[in-house]
Amino acid sequence: MKIQSVKYLTREGFRNVWVNRLMSIASIGVLVACMVLIGMALLITKNVDRTMQTLEQQNVVMVYFNDKNSVIYGENAVAPNASDATASDGGATETNDIPESAYLVHNEQEALAVCENLKKIANVTSVEFISSDEALKRAKETVLEGQAAAFEILEEENGNPMSHGAKITLQSMENFDATISAISATSGVDSVVSHGDLAKKISGIKSAINLICFWIIGILGIISLVIVSNTIRVTMYNRKLEISIMKAVGATDSFVRLPFIIEGMLLGVISALISEGLIYFCYRVAGETMSETFNTLIPFSEEALLLLGIFLAIGIFAGAVGSAFMISKYLKKEGSEFKAL
Amino acid sequence: MDNQVFPNDDFILTPDTVFPEDKHIVTPEKPIIEFRGVSKTYQTGTHALKDVNIQIHPGEFVFVVGASGAGKSTFMKLIMREEKANTGDVLVNGYNLTKMPRKQIPMLRRTMGIVFQDFRLIPTMDVFDNVAFAMHVVGEKPNVIRREVAKALSQVGLGHKARSKPAELSGGEQQRVGLARALINKPKLLIADEPTGNVDPNMSYEIVEMLSRINQQGTTVLMVTHEHNLVRDFHHRVIMLEGGTIVADNAEGTI
Ligand SMILES: Nc1ncnc2c1ncn2[C@@H]1O[C@H](COP(=O)(O)OP(=O)(O)OP(=O)(O)O)[C@@H](O)[C@H]1O
Ligand SMILES: [Mg+2]
Repeated sequence: MKIQSVKYLTREGFRNVWVNRLMSIASIGVLVACMVLIGMALLITKNVDRTMQTLEQQNVVMVYFNDKNSVIYGENAVAPNASDATASDGGATETNDIPESAYLVHNEQEALAVCENLKKIANVTSVEFISSDEALKRAKETVLEGQAAAFEILEEENGNPMSHGAKITLQSMENFDATISAISATSGVDSVVSHGDLAKKISGIKSAINLICFWIIGILGIISLVIVSNTIRVTMYNRKLEISIMKAVGATDSFVRLPFIIEGMLLGVISALISEGLIYFCYRVAGETMSETFNTLIPFSEEALLLLGIFLAIGIFAGAVGSAFMISKYLKKEGSEFKAL
Repeated sequence: MDNQVFPNDDFILTPDTVFPEDKHIVTPEKPIIEFRGVSKTYQTGTHALKDVNIQIHPGEFVFVVGASGAGKSTFMKLIMREEKANTGDVLVNGYNLTKMPRKQIPMLRRTMGIVFQDFRLIPTMDVFDNVAFAMHVVGEKPNVIRREVAKALSQVGLGHKARSKPAELSGGEQQRVGLARALINKPKLLIADEPTGNVDPNMSYEIVEMLSRINQQGTTVLMVTHEHNLVRDFHHRVIMLEGGTIVADNAEGTI
């Protein structure tokens, strides 16, 4: 096709949008509705994703080592108290009598060695050693006023009651259970405290929301395509006369097609720009009303380009493909006929 | 692929294939339109044309007449390849329309100008653009289009209405715009199915006069009409159809 023709037909495509402005406005309206919904779905996914990510980052596992204090106070506390009850004559608790063989971690060096082993486990990002002293300090800081006394009582009786421990950060939630078993199975580990169930639920919700949004985007994308085809079909019907004249004066099929394709693409681009503006406005309003409860919405500017890109892609694709499809059908069906209207 | 379907491109006629018998005769004698044993039966079973044989030569002016349903429009539609003959050959401007692939239709149409009974002007375009449209289709340059359209409009006496919309014109004026559009690409052949059907009798005369002038400048004109006075007053060849066959072919305006 000659460059002259392309220029002329591009102008014609623009003119068509204006000449058929009622139909254009109608289809832009529906396209914008689809795009805004797609954009909303996308922004919701993005925000959920990010919120979940911060929650996931808090998904830290606490590990307590199998040391003297874990034998006395820990979850898996074994016999000493029971044997005390029978062997000793009550009263004083002879904790110092616990043999060294009853526990695996005897000092900080050994605890650090366990930490080294923990670091080797796949899916473990970092291991932060927390000595019993540090643990006691932190416990005293976090515990409520009155309860701090309980620690002091324990401390007075047997010295620092806390075990050595470590704060382990996991890389992902995917192999959570396997990672936890590996940590538990590590020699020297007494108990593992995690919020795995919560984390798993969160990642479940996250994938559900992602899936829903994916379907919303997919379905709305198809609807946009159908709408543009339909608009073009209506304008085609209105412009049967024009097409018949074009063909009568010797226009090729591609010559007839091009202005319609450009018209469709233009509708797509206009819709994309309007949608971007609308989404920006809605998002700001949403951000302002929500800011008291959540002030953590992703700033619009971070997603603006992505959204515009998606809108343009949807609009141009729907416009070009929808109109090309419609016209091919029409050209084939009506052929070169130019029946009286 | 193409070679298999059209081994010798034989839908484009060389003088040899069209007139093997009169190789030596000079080209002006070669018909611009030729029907050879052409029949057209519509899908409904109507036999619109039956074994039509005719030759029309360059520079002729031909009236096509006949009762309603005689097959006049079908005859015209076969020439512009809006319909395809079931049997026989239709040869127009060097194309064999029964063998030609669909893709070639636009090229064929560019060799002819078509005038419609209902004018077929685009209502959203002004007069100038309606005429320019036909030049855009063939990819003319804007400055050539401006010059030629202005010339064509003043030839049909509508230079002053260039920026009017079709709805603001009388029937006769609209048909003159249609005529300007049909002629803008300087076709060798002009075909018109009842071009005066929707204009008043005075305007009919004016339009046929215009067509005659165009014909004198060398364009072949083929025109369907119901108006006997036009046929009587303009002394041109008359082809009469009846029930899908040619029943008369008179040289000088006699029916
Ligand atoms: N598309 C079509 N499908 C089926 N039959 C058709 C079609 N077009 C025309 N016919 C029939 O073919 C016959 C010839 O029609 P045609 O239009 O050629 O007549 P005409 O001479 O132009 O008539 P008129 O003077 O009324 O325009 C008629 O019987 C008509 O009903
Ligand atoms: Mg007719």
